[in-house]
Amino acid sequence: MFVFDPYSPAIDADPFPAYRRLRDEFPCFWSPEAGMWVLSRHADIVTALNDWQTYSSAKGNLMTELPNRAGATLGTTDPPRHDRLRGLIQHAFMKRNLETLAEPIRAIAAELAAELAGRDRFDYIGDFSSKFTVRVLFAVLGLPMGDEATVREKAVLMVQSDPVTRTKGPEHIAAYEWMQAYAARIIALRRAEPCGDLISLLSSAEIDGDRLEEREVLLTITTLIMAGVESLAGFLVMFALNLADHAEARRAVVADPALLADAIEESLRYNTSAQRFRRCLTRDVTLHGETMKAGDFVCLAYGAGNRDERQFPNPDVYDIGRKPRGHLGFGGSVHACLGTAIARMAVRIGMEELHRVVPDYARVETDLPWMPSSTFRSPTRLDLVRA
Amino acid sequence: MVKLTFIEPSGAEVAIEAQEGWSAMQVATSKGVEGIDAECGGSCACATCHCYVEGDVAARLPAPLDGELAMLDNVAAERRPNSRLSCQIKVTPEIEGLILRVAEVQS
Repeated sequence: MFVFDPYSPAIDADPFPAYRRLRDEFPCFWSPEAGMWVLSRHADIVTALNDWQTYSSAKGNLMTELPNRAGATLGTTDPPRHDRLRGLIQHAFMKRNLETLAEPIRAIAAELAAELAGRDRFDYIGDFSSKFTVRVLFAVLGLPMGDEATVREKAVLMVQSDPVTRTKGPEHIAAYEWMQAYAARIIALRRAEPCGDLISLLSSAEIDGDRLEEREVLLTITTLIMAGVESLAGFLVMFALNLADHAEARRAVVADPALLADAIEESLRYNTSAQRFRRCLTRDVTLHGETMKAGDFVCLAYGAGNRDERQFPNPDVYDIGRKPRGHLGFGGSVHACLGTAIARMAVRIGMEELHRVVPDYARVETDLPWMPSSTFRSPTRLDLVRA
Repeated sequence: MVKLTFIEPSGAEVAIEAQEGWSAMQVATSKGVEGIDAECGGSCACATCHCYVEGDVAARLPAPLDGELAMLDNVAAERRPNSRLSCQIKVTPEIEGLILRVAEVQS
C-alpha cells in the first residue's frame, strides 16, 4: 500500500519518487500520517493557492504549526486582513528598496569567502552559508550584533518536527519561545528609540485606525526572523548542492555570473527548500474523485508541483537554461514569499563572492544528513572539496 | 475555459484557453508567454507583470483595487490609463476575448 509520510526521514532525504506516485496515481491523497490531504500536481496547487476563500491559511500554514501562531502572521491570515498587514511590510522588501543593501551584503560574503582561501575542504553550511544568512538578516532588519549564533540555532530548530511523534518536540517549542522573547526585546528597543526601520514601523503600525494586536506584532517579527534565517539559509544550501552536483552548470555560472539568476530559478523549481505548506478547507471540495471535507487540512506540495511533467518537460533534469516561470519555489498568489527579491539578491551575491575564492568544487558525502522537517528540506551539513 | 490573447513585446499574438480562477499572469507564465516576469509570484508586490488591456472587454474588467493602483506606480514601462498588473486580473467568463498587450520592459 502506498504511504506518504512527510515526517519520514526517507522523505526528508528524497521525496521525489513518492511525489511522482502522488501525481500519477493519487493526485488527491489522504495521508493518515500527516493527518491531511496532499495535492501534488502543479495545476491543482495553483488553483488552491488562488482560491483562498476555500483553502484558508487562518488555521496555520506550516505543516506542523507552532502553537498560538495561526491568525497572527502574514502567512496565517486570509485577505482582507492579510492584504492590509502585507501592505505595511512589503514596501521594505521591494527590489528597488533593497538596492542599498547590495554592497553591505557583498562585503559580508567576501569576508566569509576569504576565510576559505587555501582550504581544500570545508563545511559550506557551518563555514559559509549559515554565517552569511544570519549576518544578512541582521543587516536587513538592523538587529544589534552579538546574538547571531543563537538566533541562527533557534531559527533552525523552530522549523523542525519530530519524526517519531509527528509533532513539535519540546526543543522546537523552546526555540520558538526563545525567538518570541528575542523579538519582544527588539520591539521594546525600537519602541523606546524608533529609527524608521521596518520593525519600528510594525511596532507602532495601525490598520483602519487600530493598532496591530501585540500578538500580531510579536509573531510577525518572530516569523520574519525565522524565515530570513532558516528559509534563506536552506535555499542557499540547496543551490550550492545543485551546483556541486552539476559540473556543467557550475562551470557556466562561474564563467558568466550573469547566468546565476537563471540557475537560481531552476534550483527554486528543482528542489526548493520550501517543500510543503498547508491550508484548511472552508467547504467540501471534490477533486479527482475524492471528497475533502470542510475543516480538513490540505498539504500543497510545492516540491511535487515543481517536478510535474504536465507543466515542466523532463522535470527531473536540472537545466539552468530552462527559465521555469510559474514555479512554486516561493509558493504563489496572495501568500507568495515576501522575501523573493532579497532572497534572489543575497543568493546571487553570496555565490558570486564564493566563486571568486572557490570556483570549482564537489560534494564529499553521497548520503547527506537531512533536517527533520515536515515543511522544509535541506541538509544540516554539506562538506565540499575543491575539484 | 476562457479565451484570452496576449501580445508579446515582439508583437507576436498568443491565443490561450485560460482556466477560470487563475490569474492572467499565471495563465501567461504557465503557457510560456514572453515578457512577463512576475518576480513576486502573484502577490501584487513587484510590478513586473505589467500589461495594457485592450479590446471592448477591457471596459468590463473589475476596477483595480488600491493595492494594485499603488503598485502600478512602480512599473518600468510607461504607465497608461489601461495599465494593469496581470496577476490581479482573475480569469472569469466575463473577460472572454480580453487582449493583454505585455509591456515592453518589466524592470
